[in-house]
Amino acid sequence: MASSFSVHASEIAGIGILALDGFLDAHTAPQFDEAIQKELNAGRRNLVVNCEKLTYISSAGLGVFMSFIEEIRDAGGDIRICGVVPKVLQVFEILGFQTLFDIVSDVPTAVARFQQGGQG
Amino acid sequence: MATGFDVSRLEALLESAKLLQSSLELEPILKHLLRTAMGRLLARKGMIAVRKGDGNLRVELARGAPTLVAASLYSEDAAREAGIEKIYAIGADPQPVGLLGLGGFALGARSEEEEFLEALLGVAASVISNAQAHEQARTANMLLDQRLQELRALLDLGRGLAATLDPDEVAQLVGFTLAGRWAIGKYAVAAWKDSHANVIRQKGLDLGDIEAAKAKYANLTEPQLTAEGTLVLPIRSQEALIGVVVCGPRMRGMKYRDADLEFGAGLAAQAAVAMENAWHFKDTLARQQMEKELALAASIQQDLFPKSLPPLASLEIAAKNRQAKQVGGDYYDVLPFGGTSPNDTHMLCVADISGKGISAALLMSIIQATLRSLLKRESSLLEIAGTANDLLYATTPPNKYATAFLCAVDPPTGQCRFVNCGHNAAVLLRASGEVELLDGPGLALGLFPMKTHAEKAFALQSGDVLAIYSDGVSEAQNIVDEQFEIDRLTAVLKEHHLAPSSEIVDHMFAAIDAFAGEAPQFDDITLMIIKRQ
Repeated sequence: MASSFSVHASEIAGIGILALDGFLDAHTAPQFDEAIQKELNAGRRNLVVNCEKLTYISSAGLGVFMSFIEEIRDAGGDIRICGVVPKVLQVFEILGFQTLFDIVSDVPTAVARFQQGGQG
Repeated sequence: MATGFDVSRLEALLESAKLLQSSLELEPILKHLLRTAMGRLLARKGMIAVRKGDGNLRVELARGAPTLVAASLYSEDAAREAGIEKIYAIGADPQPVGLLGLGGFALGARSEEEEFLEALLGVAASVISNAQAHEQARTANMLLDQRLQELRALLDLGRGLAATLDPDEVAQLVGFTLAGRWAIGKYAVAAWKDSHANVIRQKGLDLGDIEAAKAKYANLTEPQLTAEGTLVLPIRSQEALIGVVVCGPRMRGMKYRDADLEFGAGLAAQAAVAMENAWHFKDTLARQQMEKELALAASIQQDLFPKSLPPLASLEIAAKNRQAKQVGGDYYDVLPFGGTSPNDTHMLCVADISGKGISAALLMSIIQATLRSLLKRESSLLEIAGTANDLLYATTPPNKYATAFLCAVDPPTGQCRFVNCGHNAAVLLRASGEVELLDGPGLALGLFPMKTHAEKAFALQSGDVLAIYSDGVSEAQNIVDEQFEIDRLTAVLKEHHLAPSSEIVDHMFAAIDAFAGEAPQFDDITLMIIKRQ
């Protein structure tokens, strides 16, 4: 099972941008986990996860979001999700993620939401 | 259908019917129906109750009647009390799909409008049934999607678990999968096994002391919901509890359903197998590592044995060691005191070191180094034995010691001095056939911090055979637990005393093997044969 997955990290105005690419499943979830941990270690509390190139997400992948959301919100930050393709969005909806996370169209929108302030 | 409808009523009915049929959603249908009914009959109060899957009528919608709460069980008394005066069945009795109630008529009862309403309700009945069927199908689809997602999650987890052999990663994957599946931000995964480090992975929860957790959940066999809204999943392998998963409350106040408990149990079962596999893999790795180290120790130890024995004037020396295990505890050597010429005095040494394996190899190297350094400046065997004893006593634990037979031989004359440090008596077979046993007194080296040894002397003459050996020779056992004993050893010496030393060694090993037969040998076998020409 050589499912390919990568995380590309960048920063816009102090907001960590994590662009996901490929299959986020149980096998690749630890990579995403590390990427978020790195952002936190670097002191960034506001994160945008760009899912434009994310083709698949499993429960384990969603688990990474859940594993950090309390810690990040407790620290006054948030995770915003953007660019979700329909197939992935369907999984988000089945598990009720749209009620827990702010899911927007693209990175500029997500960044703007952070700059307007406020959570979720 | 009632007669007397004028064209405008027919048109209105047609329009309403179209509107009702344009939607498959129950809520807009009911709203439109109630709005139309209240409008046509100029009613200030209205309500609709719909028969649900359980067969009960429940209030779905109420206007101008605040005491009628949506989703509450319908009762006619409550409706009357709320000001509902007329109640119409939606669909045919005795099981109408719902009821429409009206009250607060601004202009009293108007029969022609009631006829209109009855016609409209006939249409509404089938539309509502369709909408309900549609809703049921949607709910069923959602449940199917959920189950499908569960299966995908288990499959995905299975694939992920198959790709890892690290217990910590197993715990991580289990945590991720549950957190994602149930949208939980707090969870803890722990697993344990004797001789392995505890596995703990927790987010937002603290399991605290693992020993306490073990005791707390020892009897847990099924997923358990606690009063605080957490879900505890036992991880069991065969009968034993090998770990536990604690899931915090679900976000947004959602509850764990029965299907969730099933999913959790399935996931815990997968986790158990993956954990055991990961541990087993670690054990195998550790064992391979241990075997590597043993092989290394064995090769180091082999290097401690002399590659060849020095040629000594008028003496013929042969020696052989056979280890019972990879790394044994016997040692032999022939070492010079000072000069290394064939005429110089040399020490013949056979030692048996307590224990086996790496510790025995280490002790052997200490003894060898001690003897080599002492021999250069000390010629008294008593001093050598005493110093070696003190050194070993000081540097090793009390259960580490060595028996040794130390014999200084002057090659030209055959004059020998020896000290027996708790070792088997060497056997000296004289050319005449007489047997002398070269025994103590003296304890093994490194056992007690005192001098217990004594030096004795003898002369090795032409035709004499001296056998120095470890207890692996005399105590070799056959399948009925008899030992080889000195008598058999002496018999072999007598039979082959004319043969070269190396052949006598071979005969002795052959005799031991023939004696032992199928019985496994647990001790190293070492034999040194010295003959004077």
